[in-house]
This record gives sequence, C-alpha cells and structure tokens, in this order.
Amino acid sequence: MHFALPPRKTSQPPPYARASRKTSYFRHQQLRLVGYIVCGILTIYLLFHYVTFSDSLVESAPPGTPPVVIVTVLDEQHMSDEYITNIRANREDYAARQGYENFFTSVANYTRYTEPSPSSWTLIPALRHALTKYPYSTHFFSLSPYALIMSPSLSLEEHVLAPAKLESVMRKDVPVVPPDSVIHTFSHLKGNKVDLVMTQDTENLGHGSFILRRGEWAKFFLDTWFNPLYRTYNFQKAEGHALEHIVQWHPTILAKMALGKDNDQPQTQNALFQDGDLLVHFHGCRAAPERDCEKEMKPYYEDWQREVRRLDAPLPRRTHARNRAAFSRSWFSVLFNSIR
Amino acid sequence: MSLSRSPSPQRGGGWSTPGLTDPSDYDTPQRRDYSDLNGSALNDNAWAAAKAKSQRVRNTPSFTTRNEGFFSRQKRKISATLPRFNSFTSDQKDWNTEKLGRGRWRPVGDGKWSRLRTLVGNILRKFKLLIAMVVIIALTTVLWSKSNMTSRYRRAAHFGGGSKFVMILAANQGGGVMEWKGPREWAIERDSVRNKKQYAAKWGYELEIVDMSTKKRYAHEWRESWEKVDTIRNCLRKYPDAEWFWWLDLNTFIMEPSYSLQSHIFNNLADNTYRDINVYNPLQITHPPVGDFLDPNSLSPVGDNKSESINLIVPQDCSGFTLGTFFIRRSQWTDRLLDIWWDPVCYEQKHMEWEHKEQDALEYLYTNQPWIRPHTAFIPQRKVNSFPPGACGGEDGNLDTRFHYHEEDRDFMVNMAGCEWGRDCWAEIYNFRELSNRLNRSRWERVKDSISDRWRKFKESFSKKADAPKEDAEKHD
Repeated sequence: MHFALPPRKTSQPPPYARASRKTSYFRHQQLRLVGYIVCGILTIYLLFHYVTFSDSLVESAPPGTPPVVIVTVLDEQHMSDEYITNIRANREDYAARQGYENFFTSVANYTRYTEPSPSSWTLIPALRHALTKYPYSTHFFSLSPYALIMSPSLSLEEHVLAPAKLESVMRKDVPVVPPDSVIHTFSHLKGNKVDLVMTQDTENLGHGSFILRRGEWAKFFLDTWFNPLYRTYNFQKAEGHALEHIVQWHPTILAKMALGKDNDQPQTQNALFQDGDLLVHFHGCRAAPERDCEKEMKPYYEDWQREVRRLDAPLPRRTHARNRAAFSRSWFSVLFNSIR
Repeated sequence: MSLSRSPSPQRGGGWSTPGLTDPSDYDTPQRRDYSDLNGSALNDNAWAAAKAKSQRVRNTPSFTTRNEGFFSRQKRKISATLPRFNSFTSDQKDWNTEKLGRGRWRPVGDGKWSRLRTLVGNILRKFKLLIAMVVIIALTTVLWSKSNMTSRYRRAAHFGGGSKFVMILAANQGGGVMEWKGPREWAIERDSVRNKKQYAAKWGYELEIVDMSTKKRYAHEWRESWEKVDTIRNCLRKYPDAEWFWWLDLNTFIMEPSYSLQSHIFNNLADNTYRDINVYNPLQITHPPVGDFLDPNSLSPVGDNKSESINLIVPQDCSGFTLGTFFIRRSQWTDRLLDIWWDPVCYEQKHMEWEHKEQDALEYLYTNQPWIRPHTAFIPQRKVNSFPPGACGGEDGNLDTRFHYHEEDRDFMVNMAGCEWGRDCWAEIYNFRELSNRLNRSRWERVKDSISDRWRKFKESFSKKADAPKEDAEKHD
C-alpha cells in the first residue's frame, strides 16, 4: 500500500549493524591469507634461526675426524730406535682398532720454549700443539712414552668417556693428592662437565696418562700449567708438582677434573699391573739409574704381541670376554700401572 | 527473556509465562499497521476514489521523485551526525515534565554570568580534543617526573638495561690500620662517592661501594691489598643478573654524567675498543704471542674479532695497563681469570717486584698465557680514564692528547692517578668538580651567568672610564 509517508523506522536502531554475509566472507578469506603469510614468515625465520644458531654452537666436524687423539712425546735422545718403533707399533695398532689418531711429536720441537727447565715440561706445549692440529677431535689422550697399551680391544669412549660411565667410575670427595691433601675432589661433579680425567698412584697425581677434552677450558688449563713462574720455581717433580699445585689452589681447575676409581683395591696393590688392564706404565723408569725402561718393557711387549695375534685370529672370544670383565671391574686402576 | 530462571510471581499477581518476552523490553509501542490506523471505517469506494485522484495529481511514479539531488539524499546522514543535546530519551516516560527547550540546548539566562558560562562552555566544547591532549601530556609529565619513571625505565633490563651494569667503587683505600684519614681525605671520599651515586641513579646502574681499608682479614697476610679479585667475585655473586662490572678507584671523577655507559662504550664495543695491543704498546709486549704450537685464534692479533668475545676492557696509560678503572664481564673466562690472578707461587717469587700488585700480575698473565689475549680488549685511555696534568707528564703544561684531560673534548672521566704521591688530591678533585659543574650548567644557569658576566664587564668598563680622566690628568701633571 502506498501512503504519503514511508513507514516509520524504529527510533532505536540496533547498536551495531551486522555486516552482510558477503563482506564477512571476504574478510574471512583475507584474514586467512594474512595468517598463511605470517605463518610462512615465522617458519622461515625459525628455520634460519635454527640453522645459524646451531652453526655457531656446534662446529660441524669434517667427516673422518678421529674422536680421540693419542698424544705421545718421544725423546729421541734417550730412546733407542727399536724402542721408539715398538712404542709406535703399539699405539698405531690401538688407534687403528678403535678409529683413533696418533700424534707423535718430539721433545726437540718444544725445548726452545721450556729451557732451561727440565724437558719433561714439553708435554704441555705438545698437547697445545695437538689441540691446534686436530681442532675437531673431542678428546686428547696424553700417554707417556713409557707406557704400553696392553688391551687394545678396549675403547676409551665405552669405558671412561661416556658421561654415565664416567660418573660411576670417578672418585668423589677424596684427597686430590694422596694420601692426605686437605683439598678433596668435588662431590657433586657431573660426568658431562668433566674436561680432564686423571688418576693417582700412591703418592702423586699421575700425569703419565690423562684425557683432556677439547675446549676453551683445555687451553686455559694448559696455559696455566705452563706458567713460566712455575717452570722457574724448581718444583721437585717439575710439571708434576706444578699440576698438583694448580689443582689444589685453583677451584676452576679442580671443578673440571675427575679422578679415576680404584674400586676396592688396597692402596698398595693398585699400582700393579693385572691381566686385562688397559695399559702398563713403567713409571719412573727413566729417572732411576738402576732401572732400564727397555728391559722392563720387553716381556710386556711380547705379551702385547701375543694379545694382538689372538685378537686377529678368527675364533677364541672367551678369554677376551674374561678380560673385558676384569677391565670393567677395576678399570681405572688400570690406566696408570707402574711396576717396580 | 531466557529460561535460565524459574518463573516467579509478578508484583501485580499472577505468573509470568516463561518464553514470552517481557513487555518492559519494549520501550516504544510496536509499530502497528497503517491500515489499522486509518481504521476499518474506510470503505472500499472511498479508497478507490482517493487512489484515482492521486493518480491524476502525480503522473510520475513515486520512486523517481525521491532521492533527487545530493542534499535530499544525504540530509538524514548529515543531520544524524550533528550533535544532539539533551535528547529525549526513552526512559523519560513523562512527557509533561519536559522543559520548554524540547530537548534542544538554549542559554540559561541573560545575565553576564551565564553568558560567560556559555562562552567558556563553547570554547571547551570546541577545543575538547586539544584540551584533552594537553591535560594528558601534563599529567604524564607530572607523573613521570614524580615517580622517577625515567630512571626506572633506564634501569629495567629490557629497556634501558641499566641494571646490567655494576659500578664498584673502592672507598676508604689505605684507611683502617694503616693511616688516619684527615679532613681532606674525608672530603675527597664524600665528593667522589656523591658523584658516583648521582651517576648511578641517573642511569639506573648498580653501585657497590667497597671498604678497602687494610685489615687483617686473611690467615696468611699475603693477600693484603690484593682485594680487587675478591671484591669482584663478591659482586658477581651479589648481582647475579648484572653483566658488566666497572671498577673505579676513589680518586676518579665522572665529568660528564650525561654520557651513559651504553652510548659511550657498550653500544659500539667494536669501535670503541681495540684488540691488538700493537696499536699502543708501552710495555712492548710481543704480540701475537710466540709459539708455533698455538691455535690460530690465539695467534691472531685480534682474536676472533667479535665484540661478544670481549670479557675484559682495560685502558693503558703511559706505563702500561692501568686498573684504576676497568670493565670485566660475567663469563666463565672471567671466573678463570679471577681464579688464577693471585697464585701463591707467583706471589712468592714476584711480590717484591710487583709493586702495583694486581696490575703487574695481569700484565704478566697477559704476556705469558695465550688464552687471555683473545678475550681482552683495550680502550683508549681518555675514553674512560683521563689524567690530570702531573700524571704521565704534563706538569709543564704540555698536555698529551693520549693521556690528559682536555676540556674542549668533554672527556668522560678523570682519574687523579698517583695524586697521593706528592700531589694534592683534594685540590685536583675540587677543581675538576667545579669544572664539571660549570660545563654541565643548565640553560637557565647559563643565561643567568651570562647576564651577571655582562653586568660585571659593564661595571668594570664604567669604572675604567671614570678612572680614565684621572689618569689623563695624572699624566698631564
């Protein structure tokens, strides 16, 4: 019907006009598109972030990097060629079996840095050299030239370096320097925080063989140990006593050091070699005039040769298993066995 | 009406029916059909006649006559946007009480007072946006200044980042059992501490004032006055969120409190510091270190050259490292350095030789231990540690641009290094304090000073003029 006036509208319009369906549909589509774009940008950003971040954190090691480098400082002046050949053969066999790398170096390379201090100090620049030369290897196994690896089938990772294993093996809250140093090893040290694995013999912290983990701490430790004021101080046992000194005076060093375990063996016995131990160390054979390192080594060298032959032969696995058990029972007593 | 409540008796008796809308929801009467309005009394004949008549009057269809022209189309829109005053609202049911104005605004009366009120009201209404903005700005300013929001903002770790910096001020040096402090020493201490306190408060830094008086605090007496290390360690523990620790000797004075550490140094660490000690090497330290067994990072003169790897910032004066002021950063590297800085074996051999204690020990460590170099940076001395004439030469007025304070460059801080050896610490610190106050006058103070200066000059010239005839007369005589 038609009238002069249009019908009255309500005098109170609804407060908000609802948008028509069509526009809300378009709005919805636009929002979805924006959402996709934001998600895409975020994904790309996170990807890049992740890639760059992981790059800066973990340097990727080139393929073929040995996990462990065995560092041996040879002294051509005091060792016969035959002795050096034997030692090299012993270590190369071990490295080949375990996929490690050997770093043989000579005292003569570093004496110009250590003189007039005893040449045994060359161990420290040699280790620093190894750190430089193998920048991607994670562990450096410093081994005295007067030590012989007796059980080449035992790998370091499995038996010491795995953090869980290390935690079970390290000795907590014991005097750092035997028998009665007031400084004790930390009782709350975690296996993955350890940068240095050492052992003691009856009276000293043994540095005939130890394992050092690559990192800033390793450089700090070696540089501190190599302080010229320690070298001129005439420590009775040169770098050995310097090491004991820094370990006892500087907690940042002690906090990264683990001492290997002797299980329950009596103190007097633990330094002696047992069948199945990783290595034998003819500790002090050079310093003592009445001892002859090469002679002492001979029977052990022959044992080692027999062991290698047995390992390379296809069959007998039983004795090997027994050895392994012996090893894990009293493993760290092992590492530093000296013989009188 | 929803059914969420049970039906309840109505006031007038009876029950409301759930689901039916409450009549009070409708304030206006519902629209009724117009045919209803006209009444059913109209019969069909009358309607037909009216229809024919209207057909005759307007031959054009109705829709063409409507919506013609801009104004008629927009009229409603425009009128709807106009302000409405005292509009008649629906809750005013009582039509009789409506005022004569019928919902429109009108002046209240004819008196002067009411006109003024109208005027003010008009102005307020007209500029309400502007007035609101002015009020908001004024309120914010007052609040901001009263609640020291600026310093809180500067302090906050995520905004200004001031709490990331800790200033360690060594007070009471050499006091305690060693010597009595006189009034001058107390005055120095008061001025220096106040200066640091003001600076720290201004920028939101932490300030730790350490009592360095010599005490028998160690079982072995070796470590006396080797307390920098212990103090820094304590601060590392006390301020676990802070990053940089700034050591300050007592005889220092911050000349330009308007420089923040961030803008002055840390925002651009790479350009404000240098890694390669060969840039300025008064100690003639061989750099890079010797030893072909070292890694490339240690052998590089600048380390990895990333500013993130800087953990220690030391200025060098004419005789080598100077620890009168230096920066050290929380890191594992720092823990290690603090740990080996003092060592009994080194101390035993060198304590007679190292008369500057920590400073000499640090120089020794830097020289001999390659792991320190890639994380140490040097800062040009005048950036944080300008010397007054008398330190590193300059007594004769020949100031060295590397060491000495230059007023025109507005150096950040002065260090009265060595003033206790034959110079007057109090005089120096007093002069620098006055200079700093003068340089940092506010604009108003400058205006006042310039006026008084001019007045004085005017007076002087006037008195000269007054004197001049006399002099002339004397000459003539």
